[in-house]
Amino acid sequence: MLSVDAVTFAYPNAGVVLDDITFEASASNVLAIVGRNGAGKSTLLRLLNGLLTPQSGAIGVNGCSTVTTPVHLLARHIGTVFQAPEQQIFNPTVRAEIAFGPIQLGLTGRDLAERVDAVLERTNLSDHAASHPLDLDQATLRFVALGSVLAMRPPILLLDEPQRGLDARAIVRLASILREESSRGTCIVLVCHDMEFVAAMADRVIALADGRLVADRSTLDFFASADAAHAAGVEIPDSLALAVELELEPALTPAALARVWLRAHAR
Amino acid sequence: MALIVDELVFRFPGAPAPVLNGCTFAIGGGERVAILAPNGAGKTTLARWMAGLLPDGGFLNAERGGVRIGGLPATSFTASQRAVAVQFVGQVPAQQMSGAAFTVYEELAFGPCNLALPRAEVRERVDRALAMCNLEHLAGRDPFSLSGGEQQRVSIASALAMRPSILVLDEPTSNLDPESRDALIAHLRALPDDMTLIVLEVALRPSLAFAERFLLLDGGAIVADGTADDVMRHPRCVALLGTTAIRAAAAQIRDAGKWPAALRLPLLVDDGRVAFREAADALG
Repeated sequence: MLSVDAVTFAYPNAGVVLDDITFEASASNVLAIVGRNGAGKSTLLRLLNGLLTPQSGAIGVNGCSTVTTPVHLLARHIGTVFQAPEQQIFNPTVRAEIAFGPIQLGLTGRDLAERVDAVLERTNLSDHAASHPLDLDQATLRFVALGSVLAMRPPILLLDEPQRGLDARAIVRLASILREESSRGTCIVLVCHDMEFVAAMADRVIALADGRLVADRSTLDFFASADAAHAAGVEIPDSLALAVELELEPALTPAALARVWLRAHAR
Repeated sequence: MALIVDELVFRFPGAPAPVLNGCTFAIGGGERVAILAPNGAGKTTLARWMAGLLPDGGFLNAERGGVRIGGLPATSFTASQRAVAVQFVGQVPAQQMSGAAFTVYEELAFGPCNLALPRAEVRERVDRALAMCNLEHLAGRDPFSLSGGEQQRVSIASALAMRPSILVLDEPTSNLDPESRDALIAHLRALPDDMTLIVLEVALRPSLAFAERFLLLDGGAIVADGTADDVMRHPRCVALLGTTAIRAAAAQIRDAGKWPAALRLPLLVDDGRVAFREAADALG
């Protein structure tokens, strides 16, 4: 569904940002891209959605090359929720913002209304449908950006730091939307600094360091091998750190930690 | 320098309810405080009041109450007096770049130059702020060519270069990798004793490493005020902001009936190591 083959990229007048990156992702995969500030994570997202094109190598999005397919056609295959939601919002109401994508897809009348209503409901925005997006707080605005992308029903969903600035309840809502998308077959790619969120959501981790891909492993393998996490400059989730210190089986989440602890101390 | 928010009631024009509704607290000079707040509680609006960006003198005013900085009404400060008294770093760093600088170095020098400081002092302040935010290797770069996390560090460094009496940071570490975060936290801990540090957070863990006092903002008012443990045990805090991963795991063990009643639920890996071993010993 998503294939990245020997991709190299440099900004004008700057060094190589991404060097010989290769990986693939399939339907229902939830992939996390991790690494230090400036490692090239957001650049990689912009290559995946066609806003940037690689100097060499190739990227296939649902069978379309990002080099030869215009960005507005790629948008049917890949949707992006950027780090700063206000950068991608430009309509006078939340409803109009969410309807914008489906209108470009040719939806009208009842089909359009039904699709928009369903997204408003899922993102908990029904009460804000008539609000001006920029009157909303940052967290609600992020759900507007997410909703406007979900309304396109892209088979691949890219999210740049989607959990940032969200409180515990909003993170639960975000996680449940993403799980629902994944179970419908959507391929999800997250760029994320919050390793608790990565541990809870991702089934695979792609780690970047100094422009190179330093790990492509299952989430548990990635965090359980301290050297991979160390090379990428990320820390392991607290639950796993404590499980390791207590010499328990590896556990990525609080629920898993409680489970392995109870199993180890069952009498 | 002390900061007092006194019975502040503030409503955006046309809004059905006030964002800040009787918000009251006092922070003494040199305190290191974290204000925890769920989404929609009024966090960013409160930050703008503390930073002196509100009231705007015309359109947006308090219905009641106000903010006092160093004993004086915040409204009595001129822009340059305020810039030395309070510096604020918001969540979207690109929005607070001066736009007048071609390099990170110039961006950091912009504020001190506007204070008409001697050249040597500007240089000394910029060098120190670059070091504090792990930015020395980026000093010659265009600020707008940097990544999100790097821009966040530039905006914090620009505030530090002003050497304010009060520093207000809105989710300062949310976009930083662990090395940059730990470097920033180490420097925040080492700030001059008389510099007041106020951090606003939606997550529990980031401020545990340096804040000594925690406030919980809920519905535009402060509903809890105390140590990390006091506030994170508060039912509204648990309901709105959840708990740390380690405390969540311990709570599940407690719910399974295997956690000793007298044993405190730990917050982080360090106290978790001890508490989980004690819990295991208690099971025999």
